Amino acid sequence: MLMMPVLDLQFGERIVTLMAALVLVLQIAMVSQRWIVLHIRIFAVQSLFLAMIAATIAWYNHAPHIYIAAVLTLVVKVILVPILFERLVTRMEIHEEIEPIVNVPLSVLIAGGLTLVGYVVAESFYRPDAPGVGHNALAVAISLFLIGFFTMINRRKALTQVLALLSLENGLFLAAISLTYGMPLIVELGILFDVLVAAMVLGILVYRIRETFESMDVSRLRRLRG
Amino acid sequence: MIERLMENAAQFLLLLVLSPLVTGVIRTLKARLQTRRGPGILQPYRDLRKLFSKGIVIPETASWIFTATPWVVFFSTILAGLMIPMVAAEAPLGLFGGVLAVIYLLGLGRFFLALSGMDSGSSFGGLGSSREMTISALAEPAMMLAIFTVAIGAGSTGLTEIAGAAIGQNWRFLAPSQMFAFAALSLVLIAETGRIPVDNPDTHLELTMIHEAMILEYSGPYLALLEWAASIKQLVLMTLLINCFWPFGLQPTWFGFGAVEGICWLLAKLLLLSCAIVLLETVNAKMRLFRVPEMLAVAFTLGSLALISTFLF
Repeated sequence: MLMMPVLDLQFGERIVTLMAALVLVLQIAMVSQRWIVLHIRIFAVQSLFLAMIAATIAWYNHAPHIYIAAVLTLVVKVILVPILFERLVTRMEIHEEIEPIVNVPLSVLIAGGLTLVGYVVAESFYRPDAPGVGHNALAVAISLFLIGFFTMINRRKALTQVLALLSLENGLFLAAISLTYGMPLIVELGILFDVLVAAMVLGILVYRIRETFESMDVSRLRRLRG
Repeated sequence: MIERLMENAAQFLLLLVLSPLVTGVIRTLKARLQTRRGPGILQPYRDLRKLFSKGIVIPETASWIFTATPWVVFFSTILAGLMIPMVAAEAPLGLFGGVLAVIYLLGLGRFFLALSGMDSGSSFGGLGSSREMTISALAEPAMMLAIFTVAIGAGSTGLTEIAGAAIGQNWRFLAPSQMFAFAALSLVLIAETGRIPVDNPDTHLELTMIHEAMILEYSGPYLALLEWAASIKQLVLMTLLINCFWPFGLQPTWFGFGAVEGICWLLAKLLLLSCAIVLLETVNAKMRLFRVPEMLAVAFTLGSLALISTFLF
């Protein structure tokens, strides 16, 4: 039999907050990462924590349909997408480091600043009497969103931009489950398949860009104009 | 009064005896993980004994700083070690100063080490000193922010109070601010103890060494003192990390059977942390020197997030 604190709702909230913090740490680690394979693996671990958050919320609020969302996240984002991307990396023989536009220490500091913005924004949504996981998870979700956007702007190569887009989507997922204890299942399903299809299509697109321009640098796409 | 003296003596001995063992365990575990046999966990003691029986060679250009440095480094590190709670929650020299005193005593040692690196007149010494100061200038803000986060939780910068507050609240380390602070302090620990992604403690390869470059001109007993001080510093920082965040098994006093239990807990926690360090060292390659500021920027950001989130949550 499980111990008493495990059944306590407040304890569950603490675990969710802790894992949300870990997700944020991983997001900042992603901003500072230079190796694309490690970048993909950090994304997989981050998604794993998201699935665990979803499972925790499902357990403490007796909402079985969130389990399905958790399992789908596990299958799609922790297993399928990383495998897809790692294959892409091997096939395209990427060896060079990621070169961000703003240098890494400054990017990390900007990511820290964006987290602060996330907290300030989340504060205005917070009502002490309203149900929900609390403003911590929401703040982390908004921060993930902002940092994801920043990373997309900050990267030159198409593949890393796709990864940033996916971590941005992780933020959306976290916001959804922390605010509403999960959207209707059909919406969750839709979003996850959307992500999978987007990852596959973008993977092919990245490969084509590489084939045509012999580089993944999206700034070279300007050549189409002239 | 007598009790306090005995506490100090006990912790002094523990620092002296335990620190080479920690170094030895880390080395052996690392060798085993790389499927080598390794020299055995007692090798650092044998190294120290051998070095103490050898003669001393002092460079012609060296001044008094060169001969004073080993003593200053050794005793400032020991003093810092006496100020942290190792076995009992109350630090033996707790009244003398808090966590700031610990950090700046270690800073004093580093200052003298950097001076002596330049004092010896060899170009490698100066190179090591400048690298060491660059890294520590970046690591210190991150460390301070993480320490302040812990201190705010306890309402004091005294390590006795910090450990006491940590014992009082069982699940406190689950709070996000503590998590961020722990992550930041772990990164700083790697940088400060010269572990692999930042510095390699086992190499004398000229391009990469930092700590070894500074002590390159030392020999005999002086080298032994510096090596010993380095492993004591490592033990002090590791203990600081584990007892601020995981104070399980800290005893109320040094006396009675509790001390044995406390030492066992300390050894268990140190072993766990050593395993983590070994794993990290084995899976990572050494970073280029210009990449180190990036890692420390992450530590700094985590430290500031930790401090900010104590006020937000």
